[in-house]
Amino acid sequence: MTSSQIRFVSLVRREVNRFLKIKRQTVGAPLLETFLYISVFGAALGSRIDKLHGIDYVVFVIPGLILMAWATNAFSNNSSSILQQKFQRAIDDQLSSPASPLQLLLAFSLGGFLRGMLVAVLTFVVASVLVDLPVDHVLVLVPALLLVGFFFAQLGVLIGVRAEQFDDVSVAQTFVLQPLIFLGGVFYSASLLPEPFQTLTHFNPVYYMINLVRYGFLGYTEANVALSLTLLTLATGALFALNRHLFVTGWKLRV
Amino acid sequence: MQPALSIAELVKRYPTGVEALRGVTLQIEAGEFFGLLGPNGAGKSTLIHCSTGLARPTSGSIEVFGHDAIDDYEQARLAVGLAPQELNIDWFLTVEETLDYHGGYFGMPRAERRERSRELLDAFSLTPKRDDRTRTLSGGMKRRLVLARALMHRPRLLILDEPTAGVDVELRLELWHYVQRINSEGTTILLTTHYLEEAEQLCDRIAFINEGRIVAQGSSDELSSEYGVTSLEDAYLGLVGRKELSRAHVGSDAP
Repeated sequence: MTSSQIRFVSLVRREVNRFLKIKRQTVGAPLLETFLYISVFGAALGSRIDKLHGIDYVVFVIPGLILMAWATNAFSNNSSSILQQKFQRAIDDQLSSPASPLQLLLAFSLGGFLRGMLVAVLTFVVASVLVDLPVDHVLVLVPALLLVGFFFAQLGVLIGVRAEQFDDVSVAQTFVLQPLIFLGGVFYSASLLPEPFQTLTHFNPVYYMINLVRYGFLGYTEANVALSLTLLTLATGALFALNRHLFVTGWKLRV
Repeated sequence: MQPALSIAELVKRYPTGVEALRGVTLQIEAGEFFGLLGPNGAGKSTLIHCSTGLARPTSGSIEVFGHDAIDDYEQARLAVGLAPQELNIDWFLTVEETLDYHGGYFGMPRAERRERSRELLDAFSLTPKRDDRTRTLSGGMKRRLVLARALMHRPRLLILDEPTAGVDVELRLELWHYVQRINSEGTTILLTTHYLEEAEQLCDRIAFINEGRIVAQGSSDELSSEYGVTSLEDAYLGLVGRKELSRAHVGSDAP
């Protein structure tokens, strides 16, 4: 390996090592949360809810839960990790190293991305054991999930860099991220909503992400797949470009 | 031979409008043991942060062994080891991991990292604590670890920002012996300290910084004669405008 590769691998190892050292909190808790959702919406409520668009309710919900697991874990890991390191000034060890802004950004991003992926894959495995979960369009599902994971990993980095206190991260998570995810249609079909909420949902970017992932698993979507994939790619690219610019200029990192 | 650190007309203005450095010009020759003295808020840490990539200069230039600290940051940072004033250790890592990751950030291969970290754990009496989480260490142990981490990648320029503040006599003397030894082996050292006897004993040359400007530099004797006094302490008191605190005055005023 070249020096530059060793540098990058070490930066990523640090981020992965961090969440694995507190895996009960970073992996165990999200898994339990998802399992509880499946139990409540599948076993308890699901049997009393009619099929949605010809799909069992619990099966309809699971793609959204997998997306939510990846998105929230990618976001919260990166925002917390960066803010904690800023608080302790431990981040100065990475910032004063010869690592490039791009290497730093990718390494911080990959920590949450990989944690989200781990929780999402484990959720998929558990869900597959509990219910009959099809995978209809793997060529849409895989890029859609990878893009969603990377998008929220980037968002977590942005919020972590911007944050000056822990409140800043929890406000973003509680008042922005969670409502967008819940109102994007994880637990229901947006076509069931009355107006104007049905139209308003179309302004929520998570709505398109959920439709892509649901299409990948179940073959059902309410949004145009090609358009959703294009918009998601553009949004992820734009967020990455913004973060790259912030890392190059050292915004809120290098005083 | 290239100077270890060459700073020209360095200005640093923070977004708050505070001008921490107002046109600093300073040259530290390779192999020198250089002291930077000044009152709190004089600009010492800002100068160090600008030299190590932790702060972005407003204008002026910084070269480390001929490498521009901004345009050629990779080579410049490879040459510098920083032991900051704050004990900015990553709480998630063990003592040995702290050294290993730092070596990784600087591109050291695994075998070299292992050998070097063993050497430094031994040199700083940290071997019995190697597997301990860093947050469980005492203040003195954390200080040792910060120093060991700065030396991990064998920097040619070692920057010690108040390394002996709050440490016991034993560690202070251990540190003095260690840095004198590596200085005699060729490592350039930039030391900031509030202990004038420390600067007097260790440094070949000393610069006084006040209100963001280098106001005097030379050997301890040269500075004393420049201020028309007989000791470095009195020269320093002359710099900060507190000559009345001179021990000579206290002695003569005593009944």
